[in-house]
Amino acid sequence: MKKFLRIFLLSLWFGAITFPFTGIRDAILLSISITVLLILWIPINKGFIRKERIDLAFKKINEWFRLKTQKRILTLFFILFLLVLPLFMNNYFIDVTTLTGIYIILALGLNVVVGLAGLLNLGFVAFYALGAYSYAILSTQAGISFWGSLPIGILLVAISGVLLGFPALRLRGDYLAIVTLGFGEMVRLVLNNWDSVTKGPNGILNIAPPEVGSFAFREPIHYYYLILFFVILTTLAIKRINNSKVGRAWVAIREDEVAAEAMGIDTIRMKLFAFSFGAMWAGLGGVFFAAKMRFVSPESFTFFESVIILCMVILGGMGSIAGVILGAMILVILPEALRGFENYRMLALGAGLILIMVFKPEGILGGPRRRAELRPDDEKTLMQEMETIKR
Amino acid sequence: MLKLENIYTSYGPIEALKGINIEVKEKEIVCLIGGNGAGKSTTLMTISGINRPTKGRIIFNGEEIHNIPPHRIVEKGISQVPEGRRILPRLTVKENLEMGAFTRPKNDIQEILPWIFETFPVLKEREKQSGGTLSGGEQQMLAIARALMARPKLLLLDEPSLGLAPIVAGKIFKIIKEINEKGVTVLLVEQNAKAALKLAHRGYVMETGRIVMKENAEALLNDPGVRKAYLGE
Repeated sequence: MKKFLRIFLLSLWFGAITFPFTGIRDAILLSISITVLLILWIPINKGFIRKERIDLAFKKINEWFRLKTQKRILTLFFILFLLVLPLFMNNYFIDVTTLTGIYIILALGLNVVVGLAGLLNLGFVAFYALGAYSYAILSTQAGISFWGSLPIGILLVAISGVLLGFPALRLRGDYLAIVTLGFGEMVRLVLNNWDSVTKGPNGILNIAPPEVGSFAFREPIHYYYLILFFVILTTLAIKRINNSKVGRAWVAIREDEVAAEAMGIDTIRMKLFAFSFGAMWAGLGGVFFAAKMRFVSPESFTFFESVIILCMVILGGMGSIAGVILGAMILVILPEALRGFENYRMLALGAGLILIMVFKPEGILGGPRRRAELRPDDEKTLMQEMETIKR
Repeated sequence: MLKLENIYTSYGPIEALKGINIEVKEKEIVCLIGGNGAGKSTTLMTISGINRPTKGRIIFNGEEIHNIPPHRIVEKGISQVPEGRRILPRLTVKENLEMGAFTRPKNDIQEILPWIFETFPVLKEREKQSGGTLSGGEQQMLAIARALMARPKLLLLDEPSLGLAPIVAGKIFKIIKEINEKGVTVLLVEQNAKAALKLAHRGYVMETGRIVMKENAEALLNDPGVRKAYLGE
């Protein structure tokens, strides 16, 4: 009986929070349908879908993916698939996929900072914005081409990463997060108000498209292949550094900073490097974004963007490259796919995220290491031991 | 080999070390004993560069090292086994060891690993296990082994017997002796003063940030004051 009361209250609460958006009639309908759904859920929850079964299924999939030959064949097929994919899609879908590509690069960059080095950065979008604006300004003011601006933009962003990192990395955890958050807002406000250079809220128009010889990138499909190239480049670079000595040092810093220091790791330099190395890829994404949209304005670079990119990293599984790519894909494609829900789109997205976090807190493809961090086995064993004592 | 000259270290306004002088000679085991808060751990942290002294000089093999960062001190040949072991629980034993050799060239790992596994056979058995699954004693061995991977000339050990059953602690002390006989100088901080003094050649007694006594270990073991204060007699 208590269970039913809880369900009733939960539905009521849900109705109450959706009421301002949906009106009283829809809110009541929503409450009733949630009550029914939850009552139906009871028997399902009891026998049918067990958490262990979900875990097991994921584990099997994960194991299969980890085998080397399978991995190679799969990657090959995946790349082939991506190469022919746009031939069968209309421009809208190609644009969505291109956008996904940009976010994959951003999420992979942030993954270096948050997932590997363990530095929470809530202002990552600032680096994205700096990349985009550096190409926008170089192109419209100085007439520098895309390929010329690309290294300049990336370098500028990497330098700004070092500049932010220098004072900020003395802080840890929550404090660092707040400083980076402030940095993100600062950059956006400067872009919004520095009219003479950034054209303020109007943004910068007529940015030149990339060119190769006399061939100019104009169609969505051209951009698709360009971003595919960049995504592959980013993935390979980050995979390489992940398995290198530097990647190990980042993991050590994340796990225990004092121990890392005692082992002779220059923690300040490594953290700075993680910061600017991660930012670099945001710069690349930004330059591409400006070239693709041919227009930049501050409103593309709000705090919400930083949060979404962070969600991609967490959702897919911090530290796992495949996971982060999957997370980015889900978070770009899902809102598009949910357009049928209209007003409830963001609600459905939020509910989906909560479900994943409840059932797979380490992310969809999060490794066992990450899982251990969240659910220490020692504690489980200890509790089991305690049980035996009691009896 | 190592000389601390009139070292002062503070945590904010609190002075933890008030002008201490310590000397460690080549191939020695030297131990620091004293109560809680006497400044033993701070001394080690100051040597390894994690804490900076506010005054005084630290000289290692004729070089001043008190104002260089911790990673350069490791390169110079001083490795610290921090208090509470601080292994990386989610990395495997092998990965932990490899991290220890961070400052060394890559082929060094292959060269030194056999020696490590010979000294710590249990780590060889557990090579692929993650560090967090080891028992307390094994974790301590891993922490010591990890410090040795950097090929130190001087090993700083902070409370190696902390939280270990007596028989396991005994094993750890035996290993420390063995390492010392293979040519590594050891500076040891221990709560268990009796065991430490039996192991060490010389000892320093610390009280509230000062060195109050400095003797060879034998003499300290027989000193009535020390017996009363630290050996529980």
